[in-house]
Amino acid sequence: MLFFFVLPLLTTVVISFWRTESYTIIHDWNIDNYVVLLTKHTYLVFLGRSILMATAVTLISLIYSWPIAYFIAYAGGRYKLVLVLLTSAPFFTGIILRVTALQQIFGPIGIINTALINLGLKPINAFMYSNFASGMGLVYLWIPFMILAIYLSLLNFNFDLLEVAKVNGASPIKAFFEVTLPLNWIGTAVGIVLVFVPTLAASITPRFLGGVNGALFGNILAHQFGATGTWALGSAMGVVLFFVSIIAIFLVWKTVDLRRSGFTGGDI
Amino acid sequence: MSSKKDQKDGGLQAVFTRRDFLKGTMTAAAAAVALSACGPFIKNQEKATLELRWLGWEHYNVKKIVDAFQEKYKVKVSSGFFDGNSEAYNKLKAGGTDDFDLVMADGFWPRLYAKQGLVQPVDYSKISNMKYVFDDFKPPNYMLLKEEDGDRMIAAPNCWGGYGFTVNMDKVDEADAESISLLFNEKYKGHLSTSARFEENIALAGILVAYRMGTINAPRPDGKSFNPYVLTDEELEEAKKLLIKQKKLLLTRWNDEDTLERLLRSESVWASPEWSGIYRRIYFDKLDGKTDLNMRHVLKPKEGGLGWVDTWAITSGVKDSEKLELVHKWIDFRLDPDNMAIVATDVGWSPTVDVRDKVPQRFVDSLFLNNTSAIRGLYQFDAPSSPEKWERVWSEVEAS
Repeated sequence: MLFFFVLPLLTTVVISFWRTESYTIIHDWNIDNYVVLLTKHTYLVFLGRSILMATAVTLISLIYSWPIAYFIAYAGGRYKLVLVLLTSAPFFTGIILRVTALQQIFGPIGIINTALINLGLKPINAFMYSNFASGMGLVYLWIPFMILAIYLSLLNFNFDLLEVAKVNGASPIKAFFEVTLPLNWIGTAVGIVLVFVPTLAASITPRFLGGVNGALFGNILAHQFGATGTWALGSAMGVVLFFVSIIAIFLVWKTVDLRRSGFTGGDI
Repeated sequence: MSSKKDQKDGGLQAVFTRRDFLKGTMTAAAAAVALSACGPFIKNQEKATLELRWLGWEHYNVKKIVDAFQEKYKVKVSSGFFDGNSEAYNKLKAGGTDDFDLVMADGFWPRLYAKQGLVQPVDYSKISNMKYVFDDFKPPNYMLLKEEDGDRMIAAPNCWGGYGFTVNMDKVDEADAESISLLFNEKYKGHLSTSARFEENIALAGILVAYRMGTINAPRPDGKSFNPYVLTDEELEEAKKLLIKQKKLLLTRWNDEDTLERLLRSESVWASPEWSGIYRRIYFDKLDGKTDLNMRHVLKPKEGGLGWVDTWAITSGVKDSEKLELVHKWIDFRLDPDNMAIVATDVGWSPTVDVRDKVPQRFVDSLFLNNTSAIRGLYQFDAPSSPEKWERVWSEVEAS
């Protein structure tokens, strides 16, 4: 923990208070990088885009994952494990291959647009090189984590409670929001964090699918450590990203009410 | 009464005595001493196989050539790769001179390496194949192989090329095709593309801006001739505005050549800067009757264009004479016309060595081997004068 997490983080923090000049780090203590990040409109735009993208991707993943996880846990029978493993199929390949596959589907000459052209319709460029395409790619990338987190929570859920709710006059929707979701909120919250945080730092997917207006905070951060060689600014961006992630985790944690979540781990 | 297991254990204890233990320990110790005595011999045997380590662009890692070199000189060749000069520069600055014996660099970059003491002089007298290099890539025609304030050679040429545009002439008007303004032309909205390389995007816009402002041939603040990587603040500001306007015209900024090739072949993109490799492949397909696409590669737009000569430079980490000999042999071997012909046909880059009688005519034409003097009119790849300033400009373009 100390070697792989604390030490690199401390190094990043230290470098963020230095500066670079023509690909050279100058050990000159200052807070300029943070001033730039927090006052320049440019970097706030990237941060805003990333937070919006992460929120949208998390919400879509959440809405999409719940029925899948529910179905597997409730009706999966002895195939539960196989079905859950199948949801992680995208992870059988590398990220570049996954992004390339999405390009083949959504691209200007991808499957969808080729079909539209063959039907005599106009191709839809919004499918490709847009924030929509980027968002789709990120949902595809992180959704297995959300499904898994909710599924694991549902494994310990007593489905008989829904019958009780029904007997007491609750509609299926009311039963879901008043019984199922609260009692599985910890798993859901874990899923939210597992999707939100990596999406916040995403760079490869938006780089290949996002188009000219698709640069996110992660892209610009990666740029500082690559072509521009402005590591000090990049380190400050990393620190900012870390704190935004911590805030996001804190906010999600604040929504967890252990007394209403079926938590049986002892004193709270 | 003891169990069967106890009897077995007891039996073992009876056989293995203290004397046996001491005898075994002594034998083991003697064996260890004998092995350690062999140590230096084994180490020397390993050391006898020299290893040559180069850092460069991956496409130059041509197995045929590497294997032949290893076989001829009985050495081991290993390599590391990078995407851009700045990445390699950062690697060497971070202690990479001890990890690599040779580094590849193009444009002005070898001079930057030399200034920083990251590379050492190259002895051309040890590179007999330099005689096959076109004069266009040697001083006095091409001076970037020499240190800036001295006469020593700091790199040997390898391949060359431009960063021109590949244009679909069925879609783009003849009058628009030969100008950088093509990339900023509203007429072709949604069918233009550029690479994601921030340096070259700003540099190309900088050439157009300086051309329009009339500063391209005017005296420069640094007293040198115009260099699109050394723009004034005013030019940089104008370039930024141009790049922001350009965004709505672009279908995408490509990150890999495969993507651009697909977009050009499907006629989704009609014009984009590229290194001419895609143009060559489409051109060959046309010669073979596999496509009807009417593509042109504009090596040097009328305002001026970008170009590069990539080179081999010897890192300052090479200290002993044996290794120094070996790195010169490597450069010489790579410049052998037969090997350069392999680079031309298998890799697709244009050699600085004359291989016109060794490659088919289609390669001579598409690799501009009859037009090597074009390099003199191209602004060479360079490091931005202020990476920090250029980063801000690019971030503003990306955020707009």
